[in-house]
Amino acid sequence: MIRVQETPFDAGAEQRALLAGRTDIGAVVSFTGLVRDFNESPEVTALTLEHYPGMTESALEGIVAEAGARWPLDGVRVIHRIGRLAPGDPIVLVVVASAHRRAAFEACDFIMDFLKTRAPFWKKEHATGGDYWVSERDSDHQDARRWQE
Amino acid sequence: MSLTHLNPRGEAHMVDVADKPESRREATASGHIRMRPATLALLVDGGLPKGDVLATARIAGIQAAKRTHELIPLCHALPLSKVAIDFHLDEAASRVEVSATCRLNGRTGVEMEALTAVSVACLTLYDMCKAVDKDMEIGAIHLDTKTGGKSGDYRREPAASEAFAGAAGESPIVTGQGQSGEVSLGSRCATNAPCIRVKCLAELRERLGVGEVTVPLDSLESSDVAGLKAALKTLDPRFSRLDEGRVLCAVNQVMAGDATPVTSEDEVAFFPPVTGG
Repeated sequence: MIRVQETPFDAGAEQRALLAGRTDIGAVVSFTGLVRDFNESPEVTALTLEHYPGMTESALEGIVAEAGARWPLDGVRVIHRIGRLAPGDPIVLVVVASAHRRAAFEACDFIMDFLKTRAPFWKKEHATGGDYWVSERDSDHQDARRWQE
Repeated sequence: MSLTHLNPRGEAHMVDVADKPESRREATASGHIRMRPATLALLVDGGLPKGDVLATARIAGIQAAKRTHELIPLCHALPLSKVAIDFHLDEAASRVEVSATCRLNGRTGVEMEALTAVSVACLTLYDMCKAVDKDMEIGAIHLDTKTGGKSGDYRREPAASEAFAGAAGESPIVTGQGQSGEVSLGSRCATNAPCIRVKCLAELRERLGVGEVTVPLDSLESSDVAGLKAALKTLDPRFSRLDEGRVLCAVNQVMAGDATPVTSEDEVAFFPPVTGG
């Protein structure tokens, strides 16, 4: 299940909902991304996330489908927030369930790597010195390329 | 239409208005200065180090209107009968809107006086607040109305700014403060002619000043993304920035390249590299 929303999410509640009524799942990995108060400048006071409605959802669905083709997964939940966020706020949640831990760990990592390089989200950081759009990171592309080897 | 301040040899000259009949002339201009919400709050509370900001800016605007002829080379010195400066504090947009009305019975228009009054009032607001906020931005200074004189009455159409800002204008598609961060879905082509809907997203939209624009399909030399880019550059030189740095493209929300074909009613988006997660 994929959601793009302004409101906060509860990682625990999302994980419980994913596992509800299931006894065949042996492993669940949950990743939460948070707003840091330092990034391209040392004093980030807020963050605004913009996305491309429609394309965002289909890009995330494509990434989750690709993960499902590579690993035997029993459930995936991806939530990405948009709008204005403050340091410490959760931005993104990826929960992956599988029969075995390796698949859950790897699929969660894979989904995050591709989310960061393919899903149409853009961050604008508001810092004490002014506002600026965050630049792409080469390390994110390197991380995503690992899965092609 | 010709430029009245140029003579037949193309040289600048001051128009001789001695034989023009006197009429009642009035012009209103406006603009704004955007500032941080905290600066606006200080301005409201009178907590700024230089004292009563609005009263000072009002006097500055009136003085400036009277001295316009000293600043703008070919303006006549005018005995203005009235100069009024008004301020509106827009807390939602975090800015002060400034408007100026000038009037006289005379032989020449007073729009330059009104525009100068707004400009100098905005500059004075900047000067009075700069100790606490250097990011302030003055913008959208324009003529609203003009009455009297040979060229007749003028009233600015609400869509005037969109004539050169593409479809962006000040529509709420920007990500700015308090916005949802979403981009509104584009409107369909107004006419029956085949069109392509183009969106510019995130930083690219802010750099271009264009959020959405429709391009007639027949203005494309080739019916692909490369042809669309060329047509956009012909439409407005700002689109040359589509070639600066890494700009990605999606056709109907699927990643695309220069060779991807485009057709009527397609939605083409240009955007910078993604930075989510």
